[in-house]
Amino acid sequence: MPIRIIGDTHVDFIGKRKIAFLVSGILVAMGLVAMVMLSMGKGNLGIQFIGGTMLEGYFEQPVDVGALRSALSSSGFADAEIQQLQGRAQANSFLVRVKADPALSKQAGQTVLEAIRKAFPGNSFHMDSIHEVGPAVGKTLQSQARWAVLVSLLGILVYITVRFDFRFGVAATIATFHDILAVLGILYIFNVEITILVITALLTLAGYSLTDTVIVYDRIRENLKKFHKKADFIPAINTSINEMLSRTILTSSTVLAVVIALYLFGGPVLRDFSMCLILGVVIGTYSSWLVASPIYVEWESRSPKRFKS
Amino acid sequence: MPRGVAWKIGLIVFLILGSLWYLYPSIQLWQMSSAERDEMAKNDPKGWIDLQRKAIKLGLDLKGGMHVVLEVDRSKLNPDEATDAVDRAKEILRNRVDAFGVTEPVIQKQGPDRIVVELPGITDVERAQELIGRTAQLEFKLTETPEKAQLLVDRIDKSLEAIGGSDTSSSPTDTSTATDKPKDDVLKDLFSKDSTKPKSDSTGALASQDTGEVLPPQIPKERPLSSLLDPGRRGGTWSVRKDEVPLVKNLLARPEVQKLIPPDVEFAWSTKSSFTGGVEEEQLYVLKKQTEMSGKYLTDAKPSFDQFRKPIVSFQLTREGGRQFARLTGANIGKPLAIVLDGRVESDPEIQSRINDRGQITMGTGSSYEQANDLAIVLRAGALPAPVKIIENNVIGPSLGSDSITKGFLASLLGGLAVVLIIGIYYQLSGVIADFAVMLNVLFLMAVLAVLHATLTMPGIAGIVLTVGISVDSNVLIFERIREELRAGKSVKNAIDAGYSRAMVTIIDSHVTTLITALALFMFGTGPVKGFAVTLFWGVAISLFTAVVGTRVVFDIRREYKTLSI
Repeated sequence: MPIRIIGDTHVDFIGKRKIAFLVSGILVAMGLVAMVMLSMGKGNLGIQFIGGTMLEGYFEQPVDVGALRSALSSSGFADAEIQQLQGRAQANSFLVRVKADPALSKQAGQTVLEAIRKAFPGNSFHMDSIHEVGPAVGKTLQSQARWAVLVSLLGILVYITVRFDFRFGVAATIATFHDILAVLGILYIFNVEITILVITALLTLAGYSLTDTVIVYDRIRENLKKFHKKADFIPAINTSINEMLSRTILTSSTVLAVVIALYLFGGPVLRDFSMCLILGVVIGTYSSWLVASPIYVEWESRSPKRFKS
Repeated sequence: MPRGVAWKIGLIVFLILGSLWYLYPSIQLWQMSSAERDEMAKNDPKGWIDLQRKAIKLGLDLKGGMHVVLEVDRSKLNPDEATDAVDRAKEILRNRVDAFGVTEPVIQKQGPDRIVVELPGITDVERAQELIGRTAQLEFKLTETPEKAQLLVDRIDKSLEAIGGSDTSSSPTDTSTATDKPKDDVLKDLFSKDSTKPKSDSTGALASQDTGEVLPPQIPKERPLSSLLDPGRRGGTWSVRKDEVPLVKNLLARPEVQKLIPPDVEFAWSTKSSFTGGVEEEQLYVLKKQTEMSGKYLTDAKPSFDQFRKPIVSFQLTREGGRQFARLTGANIGKPLAIVLDGRVESDPEIQSRINDRGQITMGTGSSYEQANDLAIVLRAGALPAPVKIIENNVIGPSLGSDSITKGFLASLLGGLAVVLIIGIYYQLSGVIADFAVMLNVLFLMAVLAVLHATLTMPGIAGIVLTVGISVDSNVLIFERIREELRAGKSVKNAIDAGYSRAMVTIIDSHVTTLITALALFMFGTGPVKGFAVTLFWGVAISLFTAVVGTRVVFDIRREYKTLSI
């Protein structure tokens, strides 16, 4: 006998759309606030976007954060942000962030490194990475990120309009944008640093959640051919989602298994990236059931195209 | 056997063999310990370069190094000068980085006024910034006469023959202390304005063949230097095979050789390598050390054609430059004049007549307009140094890189294992078949990366595992559909056929949408993000193939079964 996670289900997804719209409304509102704040430069934007210098490394022996701070401020970096990094391979790992300063920016990384080494002569400091970004880079990158999001959303809209129809296209695009905003909002609340990798993850999850949506839409399209009465419309949509339920749960769990493995074992470089994807898989699955399809239902019931009575 | 199965199996076997063929160099390289790598770099530099070229490259985030983005400041240049300012700056950087001896450097234009420089293995910010930030030095120098140049090479041969014979055995401790010191010296020399001494590989792998030792085993005992040299384009110059250049540089760096080189003479390499009969070669010159004229007197240089449709470069000098040049050319008619950029020879045209403030260089037979353009760019680089500033600088230390590799590998292994278990348990025998498809997927994806000479980055590793998670989706869709058809009472044969044909529409739609986002990422991406986009794109494309052709083969055979384990 085959193993089945769930048998034949008859969950009324569409009937719960009011609650879903409320939840999604809050998520999207949070996302919009986050987006406005971030584009005004408020919030935890990575140095790739705002410019500055970031240095990571570790000491051989324990070092007090206060001692490090006073060492740096006596070298002219009074506003340096210092953070002891937990869960690194090396115990005494630190991250130092210095704001973009046109006068210093050229050699800030090297200067910080030398200042640290000079202040703790008996305790070797090993550099893991230095990232220095001039203010001009951030502007380019911000516009590139905006373009990438815009191009992918537009590409999706066009493809689905061609393969399905315009209403499906719009609903899928809204659902995808919903997912990006929802994850961004949650990241903002938890003060996760928005780096290029996080933006990459946001676009990837857009692709993933869209796959989910398209798969449900495919089944809706197939089932709508079998039903011809207006009264059958909502049940047909519900049936479609229910029929794809075990596929969605199975695929989501394999993807989740992978991103959780990346989160737990992938090291510091990929932590925020995989965190973002974990959220994305969960929200993407939710949105294909309770956002993408209900939007189509709302539109179709308000101005019927397929089922004109 | 059902029809169509044979060629599908053939295709899959062919692709597996092909993938293994392309991946073999990578596997070979990754299995080597760092000691074995140093050993190979020392004893078989040609094989080493070849192996590195064929293997999948690791990104800077995995092997450590510097990624620098430069911006050319065109605001102070007039529009005419500004047009190729970025090309000029790029040319200067390429020349210097080549001289620096970094393995596999990347120098690319990015957008209208930016240049990306990637220096794997270099973590010394200060030195690299010196390298990049220095203003270009363009000089004109006379070459040593062919007779004297040949005499010098003969003398070096003799002195090297004497060493080659003697068996100096140095203890390991001696060698290690000896390797540290010259390496430092060599690095300093790279940045000093005087570029007399040959450059050496800064990673230390090649620089470690140091002085005082016996000659490396691959160097012939007889005529050690000239056996590595082929006659060059004119007397007193030589061609050296690209893979043997490090050997020659090491020979020339030996103190006993340095002692033989007269103080007013220097060896210099060409800025570019050329291909002769499919062999990549660099030119070795013997120059008179004295700078006859500085490039700062050049006001312009443009490529064009002469009346015989041969490509030429016409150039213009300032009035003061014209006076100097007239004296220089008038006294040296018939002799070659080397155009030297940052210590390396760009070209050595023969002086045909006295030139004042306007002259032209006729390119050699078989030269293209592009080559004339390149020379003009170099000449203009000396005339109009385009100011560059570093706008982004990323340095990854070697320990973070290797830590990332270990962690990425572990995470991939565990994530992949979880996927294989979930699918294997849920779909039983069919699940095991899908698991094989997933493994094929990873194999093919890695092979594509090797074929494309793609660079593996940390996000790229994440892209590969993510592909594993996503790629099972095709099979999940097919299997779920087959189950539905079976539940509806269809026979195994009909269920499989219906399952594949109906799921296919969905699979194509879902794959295309993912490909669209991968393309958007590629557009946005720089460095690591691009690596991620490339792996995601190919991973998704390949999973389409493994689902449609790969697992289908097995199901074509299983169609004849009475019951199906799914």
